[in-house]
Amino acid sequence: MQILWSGFVEALRLLLGGDPELLQVTLRSLWVSGLALLVAVVVGVPLGGLLALRHFRGRGLLITAVNTGMAAPPVVVGLLVALFLTRSGPFGDLSLLYTNWAMVIAQIIIALPIVIGLSLAALQQLEPGLLQQIEALGAGRLQAFLLQLREIRVALLATVMAAFGAVISEVGAVMMVGGNIRGQTQVLTGAIVQETRIGRFANAIALAIVLMLLAFGTNLALTFIQQRGRRRA
Amino acid sequence: MSASASSARPLLEARDLRVVRAGRVLASADHLLLDGGRVHVLLGANGSGKSTLLRALNGLEAAEGELSFGGRPVATSADRLALRRRTAAVFQKAYLLDTTVQGNVESGLRLRGVGRVAARRRADEALELLDIAGLRNRRPAHLSGGEAQRVSIARALAVDPEVLFFDEPTSSLDPPTRAALVGDLSSIFARSQMAVVWVTHDRDEALAVGDVVSFLEDGRVTQSGRAADVFSHPATASFAAFLGLDAYLEGTVVNGEDGLTRLFTPGGLELVCGDAEDGPAVACLPPEDVVLFTRPPDAHSASLRNLLPGHVREVRPSGRLLLVSVAAGEMEVAALVTRAAIEDLGLAAGSEVIAAFKASAVHPIPRHQWQPR
Repeated sequence: MQILWSGFVEALRLLLGGDPELLQVTLRSLWVSGLALLVAVVVGVPLGGLLALRHFRGRGLLITAVNTGMAAPPVVVGLLVALFLTRSGPFGDLSLLYTNWAMVIAQIIIALPIVIGLSLAALQQLEPGLLQQIEALGAGRLQAFLLQLREIRVALLATVMAAFGAVISEVGAVMMVGGNIRGQTQVLTGAIVQETRIGRFANAIALAIVLMLLAFGTNLALTFIQQRGRRRA
Repeated sequence: MSASASSARPLLEARDLRVVRAGRVLASADHLLLDGGRVHVLLGANGSGKSTLLRALNGLEAAEGELSFGGRPVATSADRLALRRRTAAVFQKAYLLDTTVQGNVESGLRLRGVGRVAARRRADEALELLDIAGLRNRRPAHLSGGEAQRVSIARALAVDPEVLFFDEPTSSLDPPTRAALVGDLSSIFARSQMAVVWVTHDRDEALAVGDVVSFLEDGRVTQSGRAADVFSHPATASFAAFLGLDAYLEGTVVNGEDGLTRLFTPGGLELVCGDAEDGPAVACLPPEDVVLFTRPPDAHSASLRNLLPGHVREVRPSGRLLLVSVAAGEMEVAALVTRAAIEDLGLAAGSEVIAAFKASAVHPIPRHQWQPR
């Protein structure tokens, strides 16, 4: 119990004191996961739309693949990305392994199926008659798609929250492709693993508090945006 | 809404239009003309293809054959989008967007590139026209079915469409709400130059709003014409049945020297009927035109030229009225009467009655035009 309490006090001291290393790790986490999320949303939502609204050969198979991808363990994603980026791998010449870019790539692969799968499901919930009505209102293809996204905006924000939660909290992929190198590729989750392993519990607790605050703060903001329009009559 | 089509040229014209899916013709029309200022009803039972035909005419569905709008062919998907941007559609369910009523009514205008200020002004006009200006800040979840449909209609009228497509807009509304809406729409149409295509399975609604009626069976338009003509001269057995004209007689029309037209049936029945050419014919008798008596009517009912004695076979409800089937010799005559009349006459199955109707109630159709079921 003592270890927990003293660790907590030390963690608060680090946080309030604005420990530069803590700040750096936090910003790196935000940068890597934020960029991965952005790419996943920009690419994934239109792909979700394509799967939801167009019918083509192999569509069912693709949807199954997406749904499987939603449950892909980060370590497996990390392994795959590492295999592709390693010196002797197909993209070895890019020298991306053990860089922040490798972590971004891995997290895009983790977030993408979540974004595609959840936006696809949300779009399929819309009544077919609504799409017909939107077309009858004079919407072109892009206008119709954007209007449908507006209709599912609540679900879309939930999608963003789910994808952000998945990437900010994963440790398997970032450690495998980033190497958890202190001062270079270490993010919050990897740092917690390392600090715990070497017995610096106060640092681990401080990092954990920051991670929880990040998750809480981000979701609070998104929930606020999501529910803003709901209360109006 | 302002006038837009004044030329004699039809606004929308379809020739040999067919919607084909997986080798099956879902809807077709040999020739259909839509003129500005007219309400064209597509009437038919459920599954008759009328909604599919409406979607093809509105450019929501690709179709084979020729479709032209304002004299220009509608062939590509870009043409269909251009057509949709000059027309509007309202469906059975009011598909409202998840925004305010005002936002919904503006949405069609905004999608067509109308600026914010102009869109707001035109939406306001449409809201006033449909008498729902008070609902402007509500969201769809807080509207009744009738209010939601009015919003959907206001949204359609706001874009000032050249053709307005209505796909059973009142069929999910309760009777008073429906009557109020149909009344309001009729007066809006009367003041407007837009062409209206109104799909319905309700013959009373078709009569109430339609200038021209096209009847669809099995995906095909089988009869088209002025509403009153089409309703009094059903050309197919299924249309006659759809109109509730189950009883029809086959016989021969003879125009006599006394100036009367008569239908002689093979069973020896002789009915004075409406104008028709000599020759083999089929005649329908609308039940609302038949009056029942228990004694021969007085002289003042002399215009009731046909008097058929018989007995009541069955009495069954038909809406707020009762439908009485009378077996009169070889003929089965149906009469629509009020409950009070049934009580006054003391009618029940087996009662002796006289079925009386005017000559004009019998509408002979030349045999060669008639399509049996």
